[in-house]
Amino acid sequence: MQYAAEYIGSNYGTFASDYRTLVHANIACAEDFGFDQLSTISDPYRETQGFGAEIIYHENGVPECVRPPFADIDEVEELQAISLPDPEQAPRMQDRIDAVRLYKELTGDRYSIMGWVEGPAALAGDLRGLSDFLMDLIDEPEYSACLLDICADTAIRFARIQINSGADTIGIGDAICSQISPMVYNELIWPRQKRLMDSIKAIGGKTRLHICGQTEHLWPKLRELPIDLLDCDHMVDLPKARAALPPSVVLGGNLDPVNDLLYGTPSTVAAKLEKSMSEAGPNFVVNAGCEIPSGTPKANIKALCKPRLRKC
Amino acid sequence: MNESLNQLTTAIKAGKRKDARAATAAALEAGLPPQSVLDALTEGMNDVGVRFKANTIFVPEVLVAARAMQKSMDLLEPVLIASGIEPEFSIVIGTVEGDLHDIGKNLVMMMLKGANFKVIDLGVNVSAEAFANAVAEHKPDLVALSALLTTTMPAMESIVCDLSRIEPPIKIIVGGAPITPDFADQIGADGYSADAASAVELAQKLCANAQ
Ligand code: B12
Repeated sequence: MQYAAEYIGSNYGTFASDYRTLVHANIACAEDFGFDQLSTISDPYRETQGFGAEIIYHENGVPECVRPPFADIDEVEELQAISLPDPEQAPRMQDRIDAVRLYKELTGDRYSIMGWVEGPAALAGDLRGLSDFLMDLIDEPEYSACLLDICADTAIRFARIQINSGADTIGIGDAICSQISPMVYNELIWPRQKRLMDSIKAIGGKTRLHICGQTEHLWPKLRELPIDLLDCDHMVDLPKARAALPPSVVLGGNLDPVNDLLYGTPSTVAAKLEKSMSEAGPNFVVNAGCEIPSGTPKANIKALCKPRLRKC
Repeated sequence: MNESLNQLTTAIKAGKRKDARAATAAALEAGLPPQSVLDALTEGMNDVGVRFKANTIFVPEVLVAARAMQKSMDLLEPVLIASGIEPEFSIVIGTVEGDLHDIGKNLVMMMLKGANFKVIDLGVNVSAEAFANAVAEHKPDLVALSALLTTTMPAMESIVCDLSRIEPPIKIIVGGAPITPDFADQIGADGYSADAASAVELAQKLCANAQ
């Protein structure tokens, strides 16, 4: 994101606030490096603004949410009175829809176009404040369930419009799940992720799930979700993941964005890639386990994309 | 052990804030020595630290335990002070400039409080100047820096560099997911630990050595 923005001489703040910059930056990177998919992700606060939060943009940093909009909403009844944002009215959600449309207009069917939504847990953390949400999961399960339903419903609406606007895949960012116990995940989060994914699949979209960090403790239940592509961060053991997850799930990964890509060399990237590909077997796509950092040498990203080009 | 002290340890382990408060109140009303109440609380937090390290509990469970500890501390602290049991050591903690991640820092902070450190929390996105001002104002035994982004590791380095000029010298510990013992050495920090439970041991060791 910051990398792509800087690649066309822009900055992260503009990338996050203006779909034209995001689209042009990502297309430039896709064309020069040979990526297969165009993404619409910029930061976690698109839906959060739809719920009324004030967002501040920084030239070279991630946008900032001034205050979580549900920080003082403590009761289920208050939650139930909240109406969901209309993606075509909320400026930052609309901006993402515009990005999908512009991708489609400029590139047609040349690339996979990935829309993006915050997963139920991620959005709940953004709306409520992360620490409060995590504590609510333990001592206010009824409130948490209600909040997570609101978040899943928002994601379903937002995903549907992005698919109707030209996205073939919906990426779901639910980073915080790696920090949650299997018991709490299975009971409160998994059912909402399932509902979201089922509804994406029902209208013909593909699903990509992104959870930063180690997810092994969640696989026993995660494997029951209709996931098309699962991102694996660099600490994930690929052979183990391959064995634990259904063969139909494509694994994506799993270079370390920092140690392999930012600080590596083209030959260390190539070596790491060979290792990942042999470990993961078929149904594997190459990507950095998470965001490629600003300052990554161009030659390293070229090396990341090279074996894939050879195969095509 | 007294029944209410047992209940306090159990409440902390389970993250039950109301039970923790009630058990603390009962123990104090029964006239138990405040040090024994503090020990019961520390025992609960130690157990939480060990289980977190072993991945049998996760961040939410630690956060509720820490909150329960805080509820108990609210009652216990004035009694401790009145009876002359003040924290032996103090520590200034913050997440470095440019970095907004604070869950890890907060866990370290709560574990330190549970071990009866006085903790001055500067929050997130803290500049070298703000750390230096806090050191001048509070005269802590230690400064603790947290960073979760590789892009903010250089800020950690320059903060350590700035603080190393302070007289008398102040000890600095560092941590956060991308930080390694080598990096800590390289930037001249006095200590590093990988998790909140070992951060307490590290802090205790450095403070004891300084005496
Ligand atoms: C939650 C989270 C967020 C939340 C933070 C909310 C908050 N209030 O903290 C939000 C959504 C805001 C966020 C934003 C971003 N994040 Co973030 N985030 C995470 C996530 C999922 C969990 C981090 C966490 O809380 N871990 C749990 C705690 C308990 O662990 P910990 O912090 O390591 O702390 C332990 C130890 O390290 C140690 N410790 C910590 N501090 C200290 C200090 C001392 C002195 C000592 C001794 C020990 C110690 O003790 C702690 C307890 O055991 C991680 C991914 C992951 N799954 O790990 C990414 C991650 C840290 N984020 C990342 C990124 C890139 C970002 C963004 C740039 C993303 C973006 N483009 O939008 C922004 C940056 C914002 C900013 N300027 O800081 C990357 C960092 C990559 C890198 N190495 O540089 C990670 C690793 C994800 C990834 N795989 O790429 N993030």
